[in-house]
Amino acid sequence: MSSQQINQALPEGAQILNYRIAKQLSGGGFSIVYLAYDETGTPVAIKEYLPSGLALRDGGEIVQATSVDNLNTFRYGMKCFFEEGRALAKISHPNVVRVTNFFRANETVYMVMQYERGRTLQEHIQQHKGHIRESFIRRVFAQMLNGLREVHTHKLLHLDIKPANIYLRLDGSPVLLDFGAARQTLSSEKNKLSPMYTPGFAAPEQYKNRERLGPWSDIYSVGASMFACMAGFAPQAADARMEDDKMSSATKLWPGEYSEQLLRLIDQCLDLDYMRRPQSVFALQRELVKDVLPEELPRKKSLISSIRATLNKDLFRS
Amino acid sequence: MKFSIYQSSRQGGRKYNQDRVAYSYSKESLLMVVADGMGGHFHGEIAAQMTVQLIAEMFQKQARPTLRDPLFFLDQAMHAGHEAICDYSVDNELLESPRTTCVAAVIQRDMVYWAHVGDSRLYFFRHGRLVTRTQDHSRVQQLFDQGRITEAEMATHPERNKIYNCLGGMIPPDVELSRRTSIEAGDILLLCSDGLWGSLSVNEIGSILNTYPLDQAIPELMDHAEFRGGQDGDNLSAIAMTWGGQGSSQPAGGVSTEMMPLDSFTTQLDVLHAPRPAVGEAPVTDDDIEKAIAEIQSAIKKFSK
Repeated sequence: MSSQQINQALPEGAQILNYRIAKQLSGGGFSIVYLAYDETGTPVAIKEYLPSGLALRDGGEIVQATSVDNLNTFRYGMKCFFEEGRALAKISHPNVVRVTNFFRANETVYMVMQYERGRTLQEHIQQHKGHIRESFIRRVFAQMLNGLREVHTHKLLHLDIKPANIYLRLDGSPVLLDFGAARQTLSSEKNKLSPMYTPGFAAPEQYKNRERLGPWSDIYSVGASMFACMAGFAPQAADARMEDDKMSSATKLWPGEYSEQLLRLIDQCLDLDYMRRPQSVFALQRELVKDVLPEELPRKKSLISSIRATLNKDLFRS
Repeated sequence: MKFSIYQSSRQGGRKYNQDRVAYSYSKESLLMVVADGMGGHFHGEIAAQMTVQLIAEMFQKQARPTLRDPLFFLDQAMHAGHEAICDYSVDNELLESPRTTCVAAVIQRDMVYWAHVGDSRLYFFRHGRLVTRTQDHSRVQQLFDQGRITEAEMATHPERNKIYNCLGGMIPPDVELSRRTSIEAGDILLLCSDGLWGSLSVNEIGSILNTYPLDQAIPELMDHAEFRGGQDGDNLSAIAMTWGGQGSSQPAGGVSTEMMPLDSFTTQLDVLHAPRPAVGEAPVTDDDIEKAIAEIQSAIKKFSK
């Protein structure tokens, strides 16, 4: 067997419990998410615990730990999957994905979640590159933060907020997805199950000093996600920023295109010093729903500012 | 069967909590266990954990709904704990086998039975007065029995930590069994580690247990002992139980097993603090998985609109 073992997803049509697998939606290092249908034809998203490197399915449906030693770690990691399930089970909020079932099969565990039609914020950004309006950003994030507040109320951090994990229903309302990173219990097992983060969206304290994680860490990711709405890409990764900060501030990149107040808020969220970010979701939300003074509203784009914006983006990319 | 019960375990000033406590009851039988692990590092914790878990598991297998012979059970269960620890140290090639004290009691049909090795104690109080307590298998207890030191001196004697009888040591344990003793409504049993009794006099323990309900008395006792233990204080653990008898009078906030099905158990096994997956942590078993799933499913039902 090669050292880089790839896990096979369940095939289309596979039946687990009363669910029939339709297709794979995504696969991470920790799990695979499928679109499936229950016996009434209702679509659901099923997340399968399958940490690559620890467990393997090479053909067939049964999952096996790659070694006896890894079996314990595999099972220990399950605890984190349970944590996610436990946390989500208690949260019933329109802006947080709802867990509807949790079960054991194929020697591993599965979490069933509501599936709704729509698209991720990431897809939306890709389609509207550079043309996302301020009102859209304010509305989506203010609503999404309702969900995040609920998460924090349950003493849980999301730790993987990014446009790909913010789902937009057909009616435009956001849903916070994927609580796979919300698993601090793992920190002591980091040799085998390293903490997960997405470069560009993860706060500096997620790379090191994990004891400093707090609501402000999710707030950094919220700032990075809003930044991505404007830029069309993620800001420079926090670990690189700590070495040599090349990130231009939102205030410098998009003056005139977005209100000063929103740009300053994003810069604040993206502060490397966690103490200088908004300290609670509520504080951030209050700023997002604030009525912006008329003179602060972005003026119509001038040719010069468009050119400047484009130039800045290109400079930033290099 | 009616009783009220309260258990607690604290780390004191130590880096680890090597104490383990558990109770389990069926419709007609109640088990309580305290184990105090010994060993420089966390191996003592493993010994205590294995013992408590094993005894609780054996109880659940055999108490259907009563144990046929409680004293035989206690003796057998403690020896099984010893064997398990020895096997563990052989499997893991430990130079020194982890060790633990253990005190356990069973109540069924208004009779109480107990057994112990080492210096974790059982106290039996009636009307706030001590009826009996276990005699430690320790050097200081020997000195006391020989009349060479007083009871108060036992707590401060330099050799107070020396124990000659325990589970997991080189020598098989010599489990000391009680007699079959009748228990009346209102009687209180306290099982505790030396972290608790070492800092408190028997009068203090008795009067506090007699004055407050258990859920206040135990924290009170723990507070006192922890405070006196100071910065380097030992781990402290206790389970206390007030017997309510078979009658209809139920102690406030207590447990009545009347409505329990014959084949069911309620078990409270405190695995303390956040999970530490370090060497030797009990692996996640099938039971753990089933339990977690059941818990999540009930949360899903409860919180679904």
